Amino acid sequence: MPKAPANSAVRKADPVLQSLFDVQEATLPNGLRVRLLANHDTPVVSLYTFFQVGSRNERPGITGISHLFEHMMFNGAKKYGPKKFDQVLESNGGRSNAYTSTDMTVYYEDFASDALETVLDLESDRMRSLRINDEALESERQVVMEERRVRVDNDITGIMDEELGTLIWKAHAYRWPVIGWEKDIENISREDCEQYFRTYYAPNNAVLYICGDIDPKKTLALVRRYYGDIPKGPTPEPVLNAEPVQKGERRAEVRHPAQSPAVMLAWQGPAGRDEDTLVLDIIQYALTKGEGSRLVKKLVYETQLAVSVMVDWGWRVDPGAIIVYLELKQDSDPRKVEEALYAELARVAAEGLTERELQKAKNNLRADHLRELATNSGRAHAMGHYEALLGSWRDGLTLPSVYAAITNEQVKAVAAKYFAPERRSVVTLIPAPGGATDEAADGAADGKDAE
Amino acid sequence: MATRATKKTVKKAAAKAVKAVKKVVSKAEPTPAAVTLPALHESTTSSGLKVLAAQRGVLPLVAVRLVIRAGSSVEPADKHGLSDFTARLMRRGTARMSADEIDETIEFVGASFSVGSSEDVLSLFVATPAEHFPEMLSVLGQIVREPSFPERELELARERALAGFVNDLDDPSVVADRAFTRALWGDHPYGHDVGGSAAHVRTFTRDDLVRFHRERMGPKVSLLSVVGAVSPEVVAREAEKAFAGWEGGPETPMELPPADMKTSGRIILVDKPEQTQTQVRIGGPGFRVGHPDYFPAAAMNNVLGGGFTSRLVNEIRVERGLTYGIHSYFDMMNAGGVFGISTFTQTDKTREMIDVTLAEVAKVREKGITPAELKKAQRYLAGLYPLRTETNESVASVLSDIRVHGLGDDWVEKFRERLMEVKPKQTVEVAAKYLFAQPPLIVLVGKASEVKKQLTGLGPVTVVPASDYE
Repeated sequence: MPKAPANSAVRKADPVLQSLFDVQEATLPNGLRVRLLANHDTPVVSLYTFFQVGSRNERPGITGISHLFEHMMFNGAKKYGPKKFDQVLESNGGRSNAYTSTDMTVYYEDFASDALETVLDLESDRMRSLRINDEALESERQVVMEERRVRVDNDITGIMDEELGTLIWKAHAYRWPVIGWEKDIENISREDCEQYFRTYYAPNNAVLYICGDIDPKKTLALVRRYYGDIPKGPTPEPVLNAEPVQKGERRAEVRHPAQSPAVMLAWQGPAGRDEDTLVLDIIQYALTKGEGSRLVKKLVYETQLAVSVMVDWGWRVDPGAIIVYLELKQDSDPRKVEEALYAELARVAAEGLTERELQKAKNNLRADHLRELATNSGRAHAMGHYEALLGSWRDGLTLPSVYAAITNEQVKAVAAKYFAPERRSVVTLIPAPGGATDEAADGAADGKDAE
Repeated sequence: MATRATKKTVKKAAAKAVKAVKKVVSKAEPTPAAVTLPALHESTTSSGLKVLAAQRGVLPLVAVRLVIRAGSSVEPADKHGLSDFTARLMRRGTARMSADEIDETIEFVGASFSVGSSEDVLSLFVATPAEHFPEMLSVLGQIVREPSFPERELELARERALAGFVNDLDDPSVVADRAFTRALWGDHPYGHDVGGSAAHVRTFTRDDLVRFHRERMGPKVSLLSVVGAVSPEVVAREAEKAFAGWEGGPETPMELPPADMKTSGRIILVDKPEQTQTQVRIGGPGFRVGHPDYFPAAAMNNVLGGGFTSRLVNEIRVERGLTYGIHSYFDMMNAGGVFGISTFTQTDKTREMIDVTLAEVAKVREKGITPAELKKAQRYLAGLYPLRTETNESVASVLSDIRVHGLGDDWVEKFRERLMEVKPKQTVEVAAKYLFAQPPLIVLVGKASEVKKQLTGLGPVTVVPASDYE
């Protein structure tokens, strides 16, 4: 794959970021990687545990196991049994959450700094000796089914997104939703979970990020004490990317009760580590960041074809997708909106951005980057994100210099390459009459109560 | 939009007997480390605008928050949504700049402006790289002092708002919140959605906006907070430049009538026939911001329906699997507040959900919480409190709240001390007072034909179509 030229030549660490990230690193004999960053502004700490596993590592038949398993991690281990994890954490001034994506599974806690040892005890307990029993698995399976109904089956963007995934990818595991197919969630067994735990939740497949009001030296000693005896696991099988080359546009329709039509589109993109990825970051900002961005101005303000427009370009381990979602008005013609969108993208490919737009995108990327680092949680998460998707957290420090060097020639070349029609997939929502006509007309609910 | 990641929202533990929580780490009673705000510098512009500056942080960023006591509660009775709508239109043109020029000026440097109203205040937020602070404050000043409200921009905003109201009907949770607010507060100025309604937004004219801006917004009822990598001297100087000559608005904030909620066991059932789940809202009177009951009530509520291990979560979600999320809360505003519960469940479980929820609430109302539960809540809330002062934006918000609601400048510093002083007896008192001593209002959004027959004996039921809430 041709790469954007010579960016590596300009890679240098940003001075502000460099001074912020005075990170202590260590790797335990069992392979657990540890990153520690002190910040004594407030008496709180964030701890992130990144496991290098997600729906990307799954196979048909047990899709959704990464996410179901994430739930199981809160259901009791040897020392701290069922319900204990959050009870102990909360009563020590902390809170937890977790998320699963295609490429990783991430657990995190925010807590008062005097709870550090307790949190390490809790986290290492479940990495060492998670207890999976059938009863807990069954009840958690029901919860996840309910979650699927709420987030996918009864949520319009959820339905469209799921349809889109199967259009974009034919062979790669990115084609199924992170939450998994309904029948697969039903099918996952305790043995599947146990094998999954042994393979992917071993210390050599994890990185710990601890950021906040800590003494790095003492903290590392505590980490060694609590995690040191967890045995190393096997090296997980590499994931094969067998995705064939797409040969033309792919389209699908979704008929569902709704007030207005909508369109969700995607173009096959590069992998996170590809330098084209950063050029696409610039393009994404120029297209939809702010009221004056190209697509917002054109589709929402000038032609008023759309109520809102969003671009979701997320880095992934394997080649990902640039996704565009257009929320329309009741009388909007989806085809017309598509044409207007394609015309704008073609203009970027033919003419590039104006120099001012290019600079504006760079300024905004930098400002957002800095804002992300305003909290302990933001810093810890950013390090994990860069390490998982770029290879090293240090690559995050050089990002501003790489963005700064991107030229309009690169923008044109990358737009022309990735926004080609033969890379495109399109899902159109056709509003169906309201009322329960079939099983698809289940109720809708959002995840408002969710944290 | 939907992302391809799903977050853990439910953590259902095995339905095994719960043993008492063992104390894992034996420690002396915690003395929380100090949480303090950065030094505050106060000044007043020649036009009478109060300015608070707090210098902090290693990142070259600044957060600005301007609050104006012109929230949705001071709108004319037939112009619901005017405050929020006006706030949005202010950045769509000034005497000197077009909407495009404003956008370009702000967005080019990587700054961001956002606006929005609550019941009590209209707020404008600016987040900017520190080196562009003077220029951004100048733009904020223009937007606030001399918005031009172009007719074309007004029509565009109206169309988008109306399209938004239509699409909102697809979201049962939004419909439930709207119905709840209207029914709970009735004719009180808090009794309508901050965003208004389609019927009212249709009638907005440019004159309405001009009048709201002139009569309701002014320096005497506003506060500017600036937090981040900028010196107090620069803040005072630039604030004077940006806001000199700002006139208009009232001398003092408008007084609102006291809350007079008529809950008395009414049930509003909003019909959305395609639903297989019911959105549930239950509520009654709470208290205003800064009320002395705040600390005992916060601790008590944390035990009842606050965190992941609350009684409601345990009984409703973990033990019975009736829902996927439930929480209780105190919503506090300047003239009063709400104690409420928000959840959802499968259609055929609606009655069971209501019964179990009300039973759990009744247990706490009658017996209070245990001293051990109180201690846990105190440690949880105190431990996480410092997160509220972690960013420039959150410090600016806390500063605004302290001044707007008269919480006292030692609010942050004393917060954890006051929380730790709460005695079990106080939590019993607030539970008896706020946990539905009078039957609450219940709002349900779902398939009425299936839900209504489950409600026998619960209270008077009114069925309304979802389209009432456009």
